[in-house]
Amino acid sequence: MRTEIPKTDNPPVKWFDGFTRVVLLAMFICLTFIFISAKYMTYHKMEAVGTDDTVNSMASKVTGSPAHPFIDLPGDAQVGAFSIANLCVGLIVGHLWTTLFGRDAEKQQGPRRKDEDDEDVVHEEVIAK
Amino acid sequence: MHIQDGILSAQACAAYYGVTAAMVVPGIMEIKRRVEQNPYYKPFLAMVGVAVFVISAMHLPVPVTGSCSHPCGTALAAIIVGPFATVVISTIVLFFQAIFLGHGGITTIGANTVSMGIAGTFAGFFAWKLFRKFRFPIWAAAAVAGFIGDIVTYLVSALQLALSLHGNLPLLKQWMIFFMGYGPTQVPLAIMEAVFTAVVLKAMIEKRPDLLPGILTKKEKVKEEVGHAN
Repeated sequence: MRTEIPKTDNPPVKWFDGFTRVVLLAMFICLTFIFISAKYMTYHKMEAVGTDDTVNSMASKVTGSPAHPFIDLPGDAQVGAFSIANLCVGLIVGHLWTTLFGRDAEKQQGPRRKDEDDEDVVHEEVIAK
Repeated sequence: MHIQDGILSAQACAAYYGVTAAMVVPGIMEIKRRVEQNPYYKPFLAMVGVAVFVISAMHLPVPVTGSCSHPCGTALAAIIVGPFATVVISTIVLFFQAIFLGHGGITTIGANTVSMGIAGTFAGFFAWKLFRKFRFPIWAAAAVAGFIGDIVTYLVSALQLALSLHGNLPLLKQWMIFFMGYGPTQVPLAIMEAVFTAVVLKAMIEKRPDLLPGILTKKEKVKEEVGHAN
């Protein structure tokens, strides 16, 4: 049995418009650079360690005691905590989206003029009669 | 520039927290003022915050030195949402990076905000303003701002470490020792950040100049309008 898909007036989705092509091209160039750099560094036995780690290790040698995080989660627990926090924050932001970022009606339409208020009062009086 | 917990003294951490707090207050006021002027500012600020989070957590390999580092994105943020608002964004970004990504520490959020969110932001922003005052094109001023914002962030971070840890060594010598840990990797990334800042700002001005009030001069505005009309 075939299900008929109702025709709508929505325009067809253009998957590869100019913006998408530019973003995909930028991604491709960046990833190519990263893969080539990684291959080069592996070939030359470079560790590719972050400079933050390098300098923090240098500083730890000066202080004479190894630096350790104030709050440290073992293994993949950090990823789990990050995911849960992201999920909850995403739900809250989504729930409050219009409150946070919506423009209220008055700002959108501009402040009401006094004669508009008077017109409403006259209209209500006519309805009451 | 993400200094870890347990490296800086408690007094230094407290002092940097104090400096950060003093800069966050005018930041919140700037955000409130600009939200009243432009209702699109709030979601725009949120998106810029996300961009700074991603850019400053994005470790890129630099094959010349065999190590990785990250750009900052604060100079770009300062140009488009304002420098004080960028301090607020950076504080939030560094907090989340510390607790969830292990980049930096909890006790050093103040110190890291001073280097990335305050020094890098204002250095980049002043460079932008200076170059624009002398009528440099947008792309050139943005590129210089991106480069300077990046390098100053790492210079200040190295200085923070040197100030706390120089001991009997001369401060300048210890500062340069720490900076040489960052510098060779950071210079190519700062050049990349310069290009990135110029390209993004130019694209934003072409697509949505309404989101960036005060960036174009009157002459440039007329030119853009003529360009759009054609």
